[in-house]
Amino acid sequence: MGTSVTPVQEPATLNGKGNGPAVNADPKRHGRHLLSNNLFTIYSTFSILALCLVLGLVILFIGKTALLLFGQISPADFFFSFNWTPEEDAFGAAAFIVNTLSLTALTLLIAVPVSVGMAVLCAEIAPRWMKTFIRPVLDLLVGIPSIVYGYLGLTVLLPFLRRISGESLGDGLLAAALVLAIMVLPTICRISDDAIVSVPRKYRDAAYALGSTRLQVIMRVVLPASSRGILSAVILGMTRAVGETMAVVMVIGNTPQLAKSLFAPTSVLTSNIVMQISNVEFDSTWNYALHMMAFLLLLISFVMILVIRILGRTRGKNA
Amino acid sequence: MKLLRKMTVTALTAVIAVSAAFAGGAAAAGSLKGKITVNGSTALLPLTLQAAKEFQKMNPKVKIAASGKGSVTGPQAVKKGIADIGACDWDASMDVPGFKAFDGQVANKVAVIPFATIVNKNVGVDNLTTEQLKGIYSGKISNWKEVGGADADIVVITRAFGSGTRVNYQAKALDGGDIVKKEKNYKETGSSGDMKTAVGTTPNAIGYIDLVYVSGDVKAVKFNGVAATTENVINGSYKIWAYGYYMTKGQPTGATKAFIEYVQSKKFQQGSLKKLKFIPISAMN
Repeated sequence: MGTSVTPVQEPATLNGKGNGPAVNADPKRHGRHLLSNNLFTIYSTFSILALCLVLGLVILFIGKTALLLFGQISPADFFFSFNWTPEEDAFGAAAFIVNTLSLTALTLLIAVPVSVGMAVLCAEIAPRWMKTFIRPVLDLLVGIPSIVYGYLGLTVLLPFLRRISGESLGDGLLAAALVLAIMVLPTICRISDDAIVSVPRKYRDAAYALGSTRLQVIMRVVLPASSRGILSAVILGMTRAVGETMAVVMVIGNTPQLAKSLFAPTSVLTSNIVMQISNVEFDSTWNYALHMMAFLLLLISFVMILVIRILGRTRGKNA
Repeated sequence: MKLLRKMTVTALTAVIAVSAAFAGGAAAAGSLKGKITVNGSTALLPLTLQAAKEFQKMNPKVKIAASGKGSVTGPQAVKKGIADIGACDWDASMDVPGFKAFDGQVANKVAVIPFATIVNKNVGVDNLTTEQLKGIYSGKISNWKEVGGADADIVVITRAFGSGTRVNYQAKALDGGDIVKKEKNYKETGSSGDMKTAVGTTPNAIGYIDLVYVSGDVKAVKFNGVAATTENVINGSYKIWAYGYYMTKGQPTGATKAFIEYVQSKKFQQGSLKKLKFIPISAMN
């Protein structure tokens, strides 16, 4: 690209009006343009196709191996049995599915109020210097590898939970949800922040003109107006929480059983896959069952992304 | 992500194995040539990497690629033709609990790996017998006072089913006894590092680990009155140890054979292997 396009050409193409006359004035330059444009189109198309191919192969590979499972055990056994004892050929994944859903729900219960509150603070209340401090800090938090969060959970959070609960282990849904909540907090907060900032100023002005207090403006005007944006922020945070593995595996206890209390050691889809995948034989029912669990996670993420898409489209129509 | 990575690794090792087959065909007598792919146990990986470095220095035309994932992937990779050597913490040519024998594979002993029962620093107990350990892991003993400690619940921390460390610990320390999942006070960890952190930070916890990892916040307890030390492994009084194996498809040949012989040689066993805190196989005879 850089070699064929000379700096002189840039303004001519950028301002748009020079395009027509330039073709007539210099056919050689036109040819060069055409060539570089075509090359770029080919390059982009190729990149997109390659990406689609890789994605397709991933889905195909996981799906194909996963579906082999149902040649060995019935879908009802897999989805509705709570007994996961692969050593004795019992492959019931119901406990993991329920645990995954309850862990995600618990995470959101902790993270959403806090992060939306922070977003409101950032967008509406905080002075400029505080905004310029909070936003980069939140961006930085996203970049910390999840295993570091997991390690901190294991060495700092668990002893603390043990002390306040009186349990001797402390591992379980609550520990995992707390770690996950800290991980998804920046995601939800930053996207909600953007949604709130994009609420037109005239809405607030009108509300203030009618004599509203700041709290009323925020609760009755700003938050409802940005609710779709906040919802997609929550769903994005949720996809992160559902798929997170390394941090969860360190604090959840990894005992394949239904979580009956917040402190009972338990296991979710991701943590069970990562704990067992390296220790099972390639062509075994066990391996297929783990692939089916991965496929399930893929489907859950897919549905969530679909929901965001649909929400985004309806928001576009309303605006 | 894990799956993706596994796929890439598999694909890469396949490519390497194919090129190794071509290179192997071209190898002439005399100077050694070829490519060797080693896959399997992470416990043996440091040993393999060190040996590969030294071996390649002596035979510049031999290329060795080594990776670690889990013990059972070693013999599996050999079976599938992805790797020439499968590092495994147990003899995969024979049945072990949970894993069937890999037919047609030869187990080459390369090292002795000692294991230790570890407890959190706050646990007062410093000796456990086979019967007591069996009781603890099968859930029959759930309080430290039953084995001479303080009145506190025992927190059992174990490795996931299929871990080489677990296979060996179950066979040697528990005399084949079960490790039973419990409703509470039971936790599984994914690696030796996690095991050490978990036992170190959880009061009243018990676990097991490669002897070389024992330090800091965890202490190794005596087994049937015998301390977990390399000396006691060598003189035969400490029983929780196992051979580490290089599994090959049939008898090893060519560069693979030379490499395994180098790892088994007196020079490597008494030198680098000892420095890495493994025990030479000759010490056990």
